[in-house]
Amino acid sequence: MKTKSVIQHLKFGFLGVVMGFVVARIGFANFDELHNMFIFADLRMLYAFAAAVMMIMLIFFVISKKIPKQNKIIQPGTIPGSMLFGFGWAVCGACPSIVFVQLGSGKLAAVFTLIGIYLGVVIHKKMHARFFRWDTGSCGV
Amino acid sequence: MNEYWSWWLGALGLGGFCILYFTLMGNLLGVSASWRKVVNWRKEQELDAEISQFDEDVTGISDALMAETLAEFGDLAEQNSVSQTHSQNVVNSSTPLPSNIPWTAHMAFLLCMTIGGFLAAITTGSFKIEFTLSQVHSQIFGSNIEVWLSMLFGGIMVGFGTQMAGGCTSGHGLSGCSRLIPASLISTCVFMGSAILLSLLMESTLR
Repeated sequence: MKTKSVIQHLKFGFLGVVMGFVVARIGFANFDELHNMFIFADLRMLYAFAAAVMMIMLIFFVISKKIPKQNKIIQPGTIPGSMLFGFGWAVCGACPSIVFVQLGSGKLAAVFTLIGIYLGVVIHKKMHARFFRWDTGSCGV
Repeated sequence: MNEYWSWWLGALGLGGFCILYFTLMGNLLGVSASWRKVVNWRKEQELDAEISQFDEDVTGISDALMAETLAEFGDLAEQNSVSQTHSQNVVNSSTPLPSNIPWTAHMAFLLCMTIGGFLAAITTGSFKIEFTLSQVHSQIFGSNIEVWLSMLFGGIMVGFGTQMAGGCTSGHGLSGCSRLIPASLISTCVFMGSAILLSLLMESTLR
């Protein structure tokens, strides 16, 4: 049990390093690049994203039987939540993984985004328990 | 512009990472789910304790069962024990795998991204300590304090929005869209669209 847990930590740590590196090399951590993508001045990252989706789709199609079922459903929060996320992404140039990459590349201002995301998740937790109790589904893990 | 990967190399990297994640963890990539687990660590801790307690119970029960059977039937049971452990494995694999992962592993995943970003910045020689996000960002939002405030509120929107929508760029955009899940396709269209709208608006204030 103990060694299993250590291996899980190491695996996740390794995956984190790889993901940080890949995302940073594509340029998602750079606000200027991201902004250029959103105003259609430079579509390089959009192509990269779309091509990656295509590639994963092909490979997952081949091994589709091994993929665990996921609980991703259309729920009342899907559209407003995505809109909020989109606006936030445009403002601070970070989705939940990119904050860390920005911090790693020396942009210390990302600390504020980090605090913001933490607060956002906590506020959602409280509000969800209080006001909207629908099933939000889960994303992956 | 040349310091970043071209689009096809980026796609290979990003797609390859998702496949790597799936082969190593047996589940699909989803960063906002990791966030949720880390933030709700107290609940996760109780869950982890319950699961390990349950595991111990199961092994304890099956051991006691085995001892009883041995006492009753002797050698015959030992031959059957192979098939018994086999069926036990099947039961274990059908129970949800994800809950086995402790929340601290999710935290390691998130924190190690900092190292990945640092490595990328060091190897390309672009590492520089800065207190603002970028030149364009500062042009849009003004002074340092305004920049920081905008990032705080942007972060709150990102955190709240991803939890409300049940996924972010990686969960809905990469994992969900590649499997053509309706909720993910809608979510991706909406967050891309709203980000593009706001970015065009922000760009128009510059001129």
